[in-house]
Amino acid sequence: MTFALDKYLKFLPASAAVVAVEFLSGVASCVICGQIIGEDGLSALNLMQPVANAVTFLALLAGIGTSVLFATEMGRFDKRRASEYATQGFWTVLILGSLSMLVLALVRHFAAGAFGVTGAVLVGLKEYWLWFLPCALLEPLSVYLSSLCHADGDPKTCISAYIVQFAATCAFSVWLTLRMGFAGCALGTIIGHVLAVAVLCMHFVRKENNIEYAWHFSVCDSWRICRCAIGDASSRIFEGALILALNLYVVARFGEGMLPVLSVVVVVLSAVEFFDGVPRAMQPLVSVYVGEGNDRLVFRVLRYAEILAFAEGAALALLLILFPQFAVSMVGITDPGLVGEAMTAVRIVAAGLVGLAFMALFNSYWTYIAKESLALALTACTMFVAPVVLFVAFGEVFGVVGVWAALAIAPFAAIGAFAFFICAKWGRKELPHFLDWRRAARIRVFDLVLSPKAICGVSEKIRKFLAIRRGFGRDKADLTALLVEETLMLVKDHNKGRKTRAEISLDFSRSDELRLIVRDDGEIFNLTDTDAEVSSLRAYLVSNLMVFLPAKRNMTITGFNRNIFQI
Amino acid sequence: MKIEKKISDGKMTVVVAGNVDTTTAPEFSAALDLEGVNEATIDLSGVSYMSSVGLRCLLVAKKTMTAQGGEIKLKGVQKPVKDVLDMTGFSSFFEFI
Repeated sequence: MTFALDKYLKFLPASAAVVAVEFLSGVASCVICGQIIGEDGLSALNLMQPVANAVTFLALLAGIGTSVLFATEMGRFDKRRASEYATQGFWTVLILGSLSMLVLALVRHFAAGAFGVTGAVLVGLKEYWLWFLPCALLEPLSVYLSSLCHADGDPKTCISAYIVQFAATCAFSVWLTLRMGFAGCALGTIIGHVLAVAVLCMHFVRKENNIEYAWHFSVCDSWRICRCAIGDASSRIFEGALILALNLYVVARFGEGMLPVLSVVVVVLSAVEFFDGVPRAMQPLVSVYVGEGNDRLVFRVLRYAEILAFAEGAALALLLILFPQFAVSMVGITDPGLVGEAMTAVRIVAAGLVGLAFMALFNSYWTYIAKESLALALTACTMFVAPVVLFVAFGEVFGVVGVWAALAIAPFAAIGAFAFFICAKWGRKELPHFLDWRRAARIRVFDLVLSPKAICGVSEKIRKFLAIRRGFGRDKADLTALLVEETLMLVKDHNKGRKTRAEISLDFSRSDELRLIVRDDGEIFNLTDTDAEVSSLRAYLVSNLMVFLPAKRNMTITGFNRNIFQI
Repeated sequence: MKIEKKISDGKMTVVVAGNVDTTTAPEFSAALDLEGVNEATIDLSGVSYMSSVGLRCLLVAKKTMTAQGGEIKLKGVQKPVKDVLDMTGFSSFFEFI
């Protein structure tokens, strides 16, 4: 197992859990209102869904954008710029949150009236809307903090925060809705957000924290943050637009009787939100490698994510094709005629889930490598344009089954169209990774679990590789090998009795120098510190080597040590 | 790593070839058993790479010899090894031939 895979798999459960809890937190209020207040409660909360989606969009815009730019700058060893982005992200959250809160407050009466509902639903909607206003600021704040914590290699705090948020939202919403009605339900959500923010702030007192704030304000940076995440964040907006378009078309063409079947299809389509877990887990690693210009490792991590995205999409598709009644029972369809139709619809739509998983992956990946326009276009095409065009065309020709088939074909059609577009515009070589393969070929990576035998083996391989394959002088090859052996053995000494992984990158992409990047997941320890305590002959030699090497840097990122030497 | 060791009349010559690193240092250390030796010559002309564990073996040997009232000489030291000795300031502890 490589260092990158080990780290990726450590981020994955937390990312998957965060995505699941995010989704469940979103539906918890609807379920609670529906159960306690009744149908009026469910109707009012459903009408609030577009507003909640818009707030989530703004939250993701600020959160994802800040975390991607922060991690990329840390990857470039530019801590000052990373701090500026972290600071500007905070200002962006405050500005977007305050503005959306103000706008939602101003349009509350008008917008609630425009939904065309009356009586108890309208009263409930207005009351919930009023109490929901603080969430317009709190949700972006919690998403911003969790994204930054994740990028800084602290998935445990993220998952703790989301579990606390989910549990608090459920518990307080039930308790307060029983006493206060709609206001209580919104108040429960507010309490959930406040507690999540409190848990996330614990990251700042951890030893591993690298997030710092600077005196900085720049409108341009806010724009960069929002632009960077637009593709990733907009998936919720396009998903909402697709569901709206489907509702309108199916009701107009096949009648209201098809709405229960459509609601099952919507449940299957919402799986795209779960598919965000795979790309989200790779974000800290990819952003750091992008910042370093280490295209070989970017490709390596993306390859792991591609395999997982395929496995996740295929497994879910297979599960739904074999057991469609699971999805059908979720929406409570009991009519035998509709159950049959719903099961057919689930089976057909499930066939497109692999395509949706890849869409989620490449949408995020292109966001991380600063191809945000392409990410936005892919999301728009896969989540809205292709399905709408296809379900109208297929629906007219094949009836309602054609609509479901169109939803299954649309992701593949959109991905195919994008592959064609990329080939035509940038050439086949760029498809779909946009990596500099010449630069990647000039990077050599070694992975190891620290042990004397493994360390000496890698040190010797590096020495031979530099001397024989790269034509380096003996002095330089020996110095590099010595540096590798001594630093890794010192890291091993610092982590006695603990399995420690390391990753060595030899980067020859700059013609006149060799960049040696040493990463390890041991205790936080700065190898380049010439004033570090010397407690062994090895530490003394490393300290002298650090004096001897003029260009060296250390920066902890995503929870592991990273040292870079120019030789 | 290859080590050849000869002892006669209290004079020891150790010829080392290969790398002295963490994995080979125990063998090197064992070869530097200086009991009954009053003059030791370590031929490092075949060693192009020595890490801190190799240095440690040399320092222990030097300390033992000093305690026994003998002397230790390093022969044919190659530049990479000399650089490490210079970098750590240990060159002054040894006589080079």
